[in-house]
Amino acid sequence: MQFRRSFLLTAIVGCTLPAGVMAADPQPTRGGTLNSILWPEPPGLVLGLWVNSPTLLPATKIYEGLLSYDFNLNPQPALARSWEVSADGLTYTFKLQPGVKWHDGKSFTADDVVFTFNEFLTQVHPRSRTVFQRTRASKIDDETVVFKLEKPFAPLIRSFDAIGGPIVPAHIYKGTDFRNNPHNAHPIGTGPFKFAEWQRGQYIHLVRNDDYWRKGMPYLDEIYYRLIPDSASRALALENGQALLATQNDVELADVGRLKAMPHLAVETKGWEWGAPISWMTFNQRRKPLDDKRFRKAVMYALDRNFIRDTIFFGLAKVATGPIHSSSPFYDANVPKYEYDPKKAEALLDEMGLKRDANGLRANIKLLGLPYGEVWNRFNEYVKQALKRVGIEVTIESTDVAGWGDRIRNWDFDLAVTYLTTLSDPVLGVARSYISSNIKKGMLFNNESGYSNPKVDELFAKSETTVDEAERKKIFSELQRILVDDVPVAWTVELQWPTIYNKRLHNVIINGLGPNSTFAEVYLTPK
Amino acid sequence: MGRLSRALIWIGKSLAVLVAIVVLNFCLIRLAPGDPATVLAGEAGASDPHVLAEIRQQYGLDRPLPEQLAIYLRAVVSLDLGFSYRNQRPVADMILERLPATLLLTGSAFLFALAIGIALGSAAARRVGRWVDSAISVAGLVFYAMPIFWIGLLFVLLFSVALGWLPPFGMRSMIPPEGAAARSLDVAAHLVLPALTLGLFYVAVYARLTRSSMLEVQHYDYIRTARAKGLPEGRIVRAHILRNALLPVITIAGIQAGQLVGGAIVVETVFAWPGIGRLAFDGLLQRDYNLLLGIFVICSVMVIFFNMLTDIALSIADPRIGAS
Amino acid sequence: MREFWQRFSRNRGALAGLVVLAAIAFAALAASWLFPGDPWQMKAKPMLAPDASFPMGTDMLGRDVAAGVFHGARVTLTIGLASTIWATVIGVLLGAVSGYAGGRVDEAIMRFTEFVQTIPSFILAILLVAILQPGISSTILAIAVVTWPPVARLARSEFLALRQREFVAAALTIGLPAWRVILIEILPNAASSIIVMASLMVATAILTESALSFLGLGDPNLISWGYMIGAARAVIRQAWWLSVFPGAAIFLTVLAINLVGEGLNDALNPHLRRQGRPR
Repeated sequence: MQFRRSFLLTAIVGCTLPAGVMAADPQPTRGGTLNSILWPEPPGLVLGLWVNSPTLLPATKIYEGLLSYDFNLNPQPALARSWEVSADGLTYTFKLQPGVKWHDGKSFTADDVVFTFNEFLTQVHPRSRTVFQRTRASKIDDETVVFKLEKPFAPLIRSFDAIGGPIVPAHIYKGTDFRNNPHNAHPIGTGPFKFAEWQRGQYIHLVRNDDYWRKGMPYLDEIYYRLIPDSASRALALENGQALLATQNDVELADVGRLKAMPHLAVETKGWEWGAPISWMTFNQRRKPLDDKRFRKAVMYALDRNFIRDTIFFGLAKVATGPIHSSSPFYDANVPKYEYDPKKAEALLDEMGLKRDANGLRANIKLLGLPYGEVWNRFNEYVKQALKRVGIEVTIESTDVAGWGDRIRNWDFDLAVTYLTTLSDPVLGVARSYISSNIKKGMLFNNESGYSNPKVDELFAKSETTVDEAERKKIFSELQRILVDDVPVAWTVELQWPTIYNKRLHNVIINGLGPNSTFAEVYLTPK
Repeated sequence: MGRLSRALIWIGKSLAVLVAIVVLNFCLIRLAPGDPATVLAGEAGASDPHVLAEIRQQYGLDRPLPEQLAIYLRAVVSLDLGFSYRNQRPVADMILERLPATLLLTGSAFLFALAIGIALGSAAARRVGRWVDSAISVAGLVFYAMPIFWIGLLFVLLFSVALGWLPPFGMRSMIPPEGAAARSLDVAAHLVLPALTLGLFYVAVYARLTRSSMLEVQHYDYIRTARAKGLPEGRIVRAHILRNALLPVITIAGIQAGQLVGGAIVVETVFAWPGIGRLAFDGLLQRDYNLLLGIFVICSVMVIFFNMLTDIALSIADPRIGAS
Repeated sequence: MREFWQRFSRNRGALAGLVVLAAIAFAALAASWLFPGDPWQMKAKPMLAPDASFPMGTDMLGRDVAAGVFHGARVTLTIGLASTIWATVIGVLLGAVSGYAGGRVDEAIMRFTEFVQTIPSFILAILLVAILQPGISSTILAIAVVTWPPVARLARSEFLALRQREFVAAALTIGLPAWRVILIEILPNAASSIIVMASLMVATAILTESALSFLGLGDPNLISWGYMIGAARAVIRQAWWLSVFPGAAIFLTVLAINLVGEGLNDALNPHLRRQGRPR
């Protein structure tokens, strides 16, 4: 790849044709209607104002980012046809695609990009506002935009996708109250599909953008996002061919195997590389005996994570080896391993002096379950049984989403189940759970375990400002070895959300954004 | 007592009940562990201080309790049932959107149960002690003892999975057919299993009621007189016995019609019927308390409404009640 | 007593119900002996269809469904009985005071009872359990709170009637305090119809409990029949046995209790025996 090499140097020039197109079937068919499943109903469709997962699915067909990312999270051209990063990592220059039109016919220019990053996203985007507050965008000419930073921020190059950095039209939003702009009900983007209609409770209808800047695309005529509130009904719609596409949690994991066996359906678990969700149990290290590394290791040895993967997640998961997702370019498999070994677990507990009492118990701990449905209930039940086997009595605490959040952010738990997307760069999605500056009571999704290791803090800080990719890799490898040995949390599995689609549909999952890519390349073969 | 004053008393009573329910709601929120604002905000509150501030202001959570109650009452009266932070929509909108589906389901189940229940009950009463009577009694006992969600699951297994006769879930096909008639048929096909499931329990109740009520009426003097006059048995049953025996059935049925919504939560959950019962289940999973409390208020209003309908039905069936 | 038994045993359905109920009670008591250890324990491969070693099959984690059904009997019966006892205590207390005192007190209590009866009871039960956090005691409380009104009404009417009787008037004239009159003179006479009602309420309580657990509002550390069916719903097409056996257990229990209740009715309230029934 031309790109990866040049990343280390100064100039990065993307190819004009996205990789997905070259890899695609040589003769895609034009036309057809895609009936896709969507649930729950999104609160709105303007990307940036809303970033919940139901918003993403339709909105990423309407809006685009400057870049897209392949399965290895390498940047690919989107609204930017090429880009350069200066050697000091302080200047990013983007050349924009020529001849791009907004859905209302106005021309897309550098002004839109400057407005989006300087004014819009820095104000409204829940997650990436802090990323883009570090940058200042300015227009060189209609097709060139430059981003300046005061300090290098290595994750920036992986922050220009349509989810974190959707480009919105300046002529509609500039100088208005973004959240209450009347156009929010009729989103205007540059993407391959235009918003047509939203029948509340029934469907969202998108139609082909005939003026799309990638000539000949999209292949589909229209997309209907059908709102179906029940997972059994969603499975049925896929079975009988009414729905052609479902993803993430649309279908119960228990049902996926059955659907996969049907001749007309295919299941793909790739496509979540950008989100990279990992599940783990957080140890509250302010409490005994959870503060002891040996106890935490014992828990790791006591869990048969292959069983968790196969039985609880029905094979739709991968055993997690540490804090960084295996699809990340910074993943290192060479870390201490915790194979299922109850004897080792018992030996560690014995060594700590936690002997079995008359009832065969060594310790009592509480498990705060994740209130996200049956799969997670089974998970709690399994952990209870598995730890009991080595003499740890677990009491499951059931709670609601609000209570779960409250208890975790106020550090009122022993062991808490959670999962988190680790995002496109470890600085963005991983560091938050382990660095000691992120031990903040009252906040969620930070270092709730209370783990603190100066070396880890130092390495994460260094990874943020190091621009050289190879150098960063080394830093993250060292981090992974330290963290996996310290076991601040018990990583269990990487979640592999399935995308289930009718085999008439092609090019569905072609990059790291999976079902949240533009679908310009998706085509449908006739029945 | 005149009709008007009766109506006024009834309205006064209903209003009092409604206020009491709103007060109960108010107390329930405060029963929950933790800060009411956090509870109401649900997941949104976990991360967003703005939302919490908004709720505190909206419900006046920093003011003295009686004032908070007044604020809450005023909101409910103006049909403001609060905001679902989980769904980012006003609760009243969500409920109104789902109400027609629930009314269709409970209404069909109720009419089905009433018709079949009365038919079976009177059939049993006319053949007391014979096998028809015993068979109906046993069937009644059986349906009365089956958990409603279990009947539903068994129906799905039998009629949808094994036989493939009826659609197992939802209210309409994902892509509804063209034309009004075809669309209605589509909904009707989806309605059969849930309405049957919800109705069967009440079939048992109404059949029993009708049977015992008819047996009681049979011994009344005017029935004996009619028999003595030699009127044909069929006419006696229709004109005299059934008409009088139905009063207690209607009374009980009217009271239960409102309670059907409670059963609808379970049935709508099993059959993915997009009504307020299903909404309540989703609200329950997400612990969306604002939504649950709103549904509670609306269901109570429905109960009160059905009680009124029962009163009206009774005064039509038996003018004496209106006069007394 | 003999007369009671005679009347009870004349109802063949009630006898059959009693036998089934005894079997279920035995299952509950013998659960730890027949299926020693923890019913949550994983015993075999997940989702095995019923066979000789696992007569009811195994569930999605490889737990023995039969062990769950037997241990679940305990939880279900406990909740059914406990909530009924509470509901009866509340109902009798309010009904007794109401019927005995009469006047404004009666008026107030009956208005309150009417109010509680207007509330959609299942939804209130759901709200209570959700708000109090799922657990065995919140389930018991919620069921008791929504089921006491009929008891109160019955107790009131019994007290109202008995209050007029001579022996009560006599007790009062010799200066017995009201609470003694209520407890010693009236209550025993009102007991039979209250017992009949309570016995039928156990069945309703079990149905309510199972529906609550089915919706995921059960105690997460206790296995119960409703929980088993609710957890198995997602895999019903792959494993029918996960829903069918616990459901059958609920059905049989409720049916048996209803039959026994009717038998009790025949035996305790002979004058109220439903007319026209061939015996």
